[in-house]
Amino acid sequence: MSQAPWKKYLCSTCGTVYDEAEGDADSGIAPGTRFEDLPEDWICPVCGTAKAGFEPYA
Amino acid sequence: MDTLRIPTELVAPVFNPATFGRRGAVHDIFTRLRRDYPLSVAEVPGYDPHWIVTKYADLREISRRDDIFHGGERSKTLISQAGEALVKKYTGGQSNIWRSLVQLDPPEHGAYRAVVAPSFMPDKIAQMKDSVHAIAKTYVDRLADMAPSCDFAHDIAFMYPLKVVLDLMGVPEADHPRMLRLTQWLFSYADPDLKRPGSDLTNPDEITKTWNIVFNEFKDFYSPIIADRRKAPKPDIASLIANGRIFGNEMEERAMISYFAIVSTAGHDTTAATTATGMWVLAEQPALLARLKADPALIPGFVEETIRWASPVQQFVRSATEDYEIRGRTIRKGDLVYLSYVSANRDEEQFENAFTFDPTRSPNRHIGFGYGAHICLGQHLARLEMRALWEALIPRLQSVELAGEPQLTESEFVCGPKLVPIRFAMQ
Ligand code: HEM
Repeated sequence: MSQAPWKKYLCSTCGTVYDEAEGDADSGIAPGTRFEDLPEDWICPVCGTAKAGFEPYA
Repeated sequence: MDTLRIPTELVAPVFNPATFGRRGAVHDIFTRLRRDYPLSVAEVPGYDPHWIVTKYADLREISRRDDIFHGGERSKTLISQAGEALVKKYTGGQSNIWRSLVQLDPPEHGAYRAVVAPSFMPDKIAQMKDSVHAIAKTYVDRLADMAPSCDFAHDIAFMYPLKVVLDLMGVPEADHPRMLRLTQWLFSYADPDLKRPGSDLTNPDEITKTWNIVFNEFKDFYSPIIADRRKAPKPDIASLIANGRIFGNEMEERAMISYFAIVSTAGHDTTAATTATGMWVLAEQPALLARLKADPALIPGFVEETIRWASPVQQFVRSATEDYEIRGRTIRKGDLVYLSYVSANRDEEQFENAFTFDPTRSPNRHIGFGYGAHICLGQHLARLEMRALWEALIPRLQSVELAGEPQLTESEFVCGPKLVPIRFAMQ
């Protein structure tokens, strides 16, 4: 597993934060999944925005 | 059985605002539709045919495809053929009196939404925590002063979210009652108690007439504010809208007035409806109040469930810009699609014990705030407001019961309790 710190990404539509450390249990994404490793058809679990609609978050 | 067309006598009441004054009747109809006509066509005299979307999964899919299902080409809310014709007359050919975010489509919609969206993101809303909690406390104190009885809908639920959102907007407090009145004329145009005085409910064009009057009232009210904020911007939402740029240009006038109007209306009426519903539920379920008092960590889940339970937005309509296959049906280009949030939020396939109020649902993926690019911009604010109120109120609320029959607004658009008489004791 990569040693780089976990990063967060913000859904620009609804403000949901994808936290790599936590993953996305709702969509079967394990904790520790890097944003770039999310499947291309992964969508925001709250509003359905596509992966491309997320931006890096502090 | 032909399930493409819904028998008119079954679905016609859904087109009548008065039906929504009786929640049980609305649920009975949609429960039947979900079972027998989950995605079928309503042909009600005086209206164009509408696909009625009753299922949670379908509502999400259609809302997400805002590239195909538009809100601006036809009326975004249910309207009769006569009403829509009159809208066109008033607007010079458009199908909506309003051109707010909900009526805009890509790519304009994204550009308009971006003007205020950063202010409603969770980090910005979190910065408002202390001020919202302080406002919540004043309303809880006010409630305590009214003990042992009040109409919770009118005395607290209508007033508190109005204060929060209009402060944020930058509207002086003296004008808040006027904004409440305009909101009620707009969303409750057909309710005998809340409608615009003098409006004629026997006239099928009434909704269009009233909405046009309300549009002009908002225009008169906000025009000086727009001029003021352009000259001297302040740290408020009004300044963001007044100075907003769309692809480098000024906002179109109807869209700007509508922007002010949606924040000043949708920003409190829905939250008020949900808050009043929450008290109604507590008054009927003393064990729930005891549970929340014993474990305040349940309050966020309680708030989320009140949104599912209340589902204040009853419907929005989209029109298809191309043919689309869903649930074995083909929605044709140009067809109208009626999205029933109240039905989707009771979809038995999505929610276990859908008709049970359960503050421990987790995650509670209700559709009360919609889905897709138009998902409620104010959702984080609404949650903060409601959590703040219940967190301040529940520890002090010793008992509450209904002191009469609550009443719902007769509205097929935004609907919630207009009367929640309670008898209560507070510390
Ligand atoms: C419990 C409270 C609320 C409920 C149930 C609710 C519900 C909704 C729903 C269902 C939509 C989706 C419309 C669509 O699909 O076209 C929406 C949109 C919207 N809501 Fe809310 N809302 C609430 C509170 C608020 C608050 C507090 C604000 C404050 C500003 C707000 C502002 C808006 C705006 C501006 C939109 C349009 C977004 C767009 O089209 O991009 N709402 N709301």
